[in-house]
Formats: sequence, structure tokens, C-alpha cells
Amino acid sequence: MKRLLNLIQAGLILALAAGCVNTELTSDIDPSADLVGLETFYVAKAGHDERGIEVLIAAELNAMGKTATSGVAPKPTAPVDAVVTYEDKWMWDITMYMLELNIDLRDPETNYKFATGRSYRTSLARKKPEEMVTEVLSEIFGIVAEGEEE
Amino acid sequence: MKSLQLVVLPFVFAALTGCAVGNQYDYRAASVSLPLAGSGELGIAVIDNRSYVLDGDKEAEFIGLQRGGFNNPFDVTTASGNSLTQDMSEALGIALGNSGYTVTGLQIASADSAAITSAVAESGMARNIVLTVTDWKTDIYMNMTLHFDLLLEVITKQGDTIASNHMQGEETVSGGGIGASQNSRTASAAFETKIGRLFNDPEILAALAN
Repeated sequence: MKRLLNLIQAGLILALAAGCVNTELTSDIDPSADLVGLETFYVAKAGHDERGIEVLIAAELNAMGKTATSGVAPKPTAPVDAVVTYEDKWMWDITMYMLELNIDLRDPETNYKFATGRSYRTSLARKKPEEMVTEVLSEIFGIVAEGEEE
Repeated sequence: MKSLQLVVLPFVFAALTGCAVGNQYDYRAASVSLPLAGSGELGIAVIDNRSYVLDGDKEAEFIGLQRGGFNNPFDVTTASGNSLTQDMSEALGIALGNSGYTVTGLQIASADSAAITSAVAESGMARNIVLTVTDWKTDIYMNMTLHFDLLLEVITKQGDTIASNHMQGEETVSGGGIGASQNSRTASAAFETKIGRLFNDPEILAALAN
């Protein structure tokens, strides 16, 4: 009986620990979309965001050699090739961390979502928001990160 | 010993069913953005052509499976209590409205071409959007798998199909498997993507251009 209880206890601990390390990095691109030809972007601040994630996304796009601005308005004032929207989810585990980041690229005229990327990282696999932004945009644009194989 | 059984039994029940029982998703919450802008009147119909619904194995509000701890399946249904195609029609109607069209819903009971021709003739509208759903269900255990088979047609009031686009497959959808509300959002997002891609076809876009 004691041995059975120990086994159950070990199983529970393993399940809990495994639940803390879970990552997903995915993207879904409309086959007809030409991402290489996109040069200018506007990142629209998400309504709930108080952490300035739109600034991080615009900064990363600029670092990738694109031209990106950001703001609170849903639409840009000047024409752009794509509008970027996002959804960030946070969780608390000792400190707050970004659990999930979804980034969408949309047609400025129709709002059609032609590309989307998602990073999901549970507590023990957490990364800084800047790094989550970088990995999602790299996933969308098909950029292989340093040290990774294609 | 009896009290131990009383403690253990709920855990066994929970392990068997988990959070798998009574899940509902809301496709009306889908925020579909279509790759087109236009104007004018459109008739729209979404036809349920799913074999498991037509043969009575599942109800029209069935939208997928949620599996319990031992892979035991439980039905997932629409949050509205309406049929899946009604919810899809509502979301599609809003999307086309946002794209500038004036939309009228058509009632078409079957994917039979005579039924479609008769309904569009009766509508009198020059262009009609007909979405035939031959398969649409999600299946969640550790991940969400989407099974889909969709045919989008633009049909004239004479019953002529002037454009069509077909999409069929089975794929793992990122973001599923965490909780019922998250799964509902993930399933809706998959619907948004598939419908957008169906419309993003040169033939369909040309047929809907003014």
C-alpha cells in the first residue's frame, strides 16, 4: 500500500513538473501572401496591453530591416504594407511572465489576416517578452535563429 | 476502507471524464475578416452536409469531440444551441456585412443541386454565397485536430456556379487542449482562417467584385 502511494505521489510530481515545461512555436501563412515584399508596418496597440508590447514588435521589425511604427489607433495614418495586431497572455508564477504571444499580419484595406504566429511558453520555459516577440516574428518570416538548423 | 473508496471514487470519475463533459464552443464569436471589399446584395447559405449528421449519428449542433483522461470521447456542441451551420452563417453574414455587402440568409436544406438552384432562384439575388460543410469537427485530447471539408461557391440566380473553391484536410491546430474557453477561441480562430483562405481565391474575388 505504501509503495502504491509512493508511486502515485511520484506520478503526480512528474505530471506537475512536466506541466511547467511546455512550449509551442507555430505560424500559419496564406500561401498566396508575399511576406518578402512587405516593407512597411504599423503595429496597433492591443486594447488591454499596459506593457507596451506594440513598441517591442515595431522595434523588432525595424531590427529586421523593415520600417515599422506603432500607436494606439487601430489604423495607421500613412499607408503601410501590413497592419500588425497581437494578443499577449500573462501568468503568475513567483513573478509575472508572458505565457503566450500571438502576432497577426493583416491587409490594411480589408483587415484580412494573411499571416499569424504564436509562441506559448509555460513557467519553466519562460522567456523575456522581447525574445518571445523575436521568435514569433522569426517564425512568421521564416528566419532561422542562430544555432538552429532549418 | 469505505471512506478511502469515497475519497478515491471522485478522483477516478474525474480522471475518466476530466473537463471533457459538456463542452461548448461559440462560432458566432468568430471575427472573420475577408480579403475583399464590395457592395450590393448577396444571398448566403451554409449547408450541413456532414455524413454523421445526415445519417442521424450526431445532432446538427455537434461540432467535435473532447476526450477524457482515458481517450474516451464526449461530444462538444454549439454554445448557442443552434446548429453549427446556423452559427457559421451568422459569423459569415457579419463578415460579409463588414466587407460592405448587404446580406440575406437563405434556407437550403441539402447540398442537392436542385435544392440550391431552387433556393437561389427564389432569392432573386444576382449573386449568392453557398458554403457546403461536408466535414467540420474538432477532436481534442492532448492537442486539437481539425477535420474539415468546405466548398465555397458563388452562384447566380439562374443557378450557375461562377466561382468555387474547395478546401479539405485534417490538421493539428495550435492553441487547443488547455481549457474549454480557450478551445472555443482556438476553434473559432481556425474557422476564421479557413473561411478567409476560401475567399482569398482569384476566381471568388473576381466573382464578388462589383
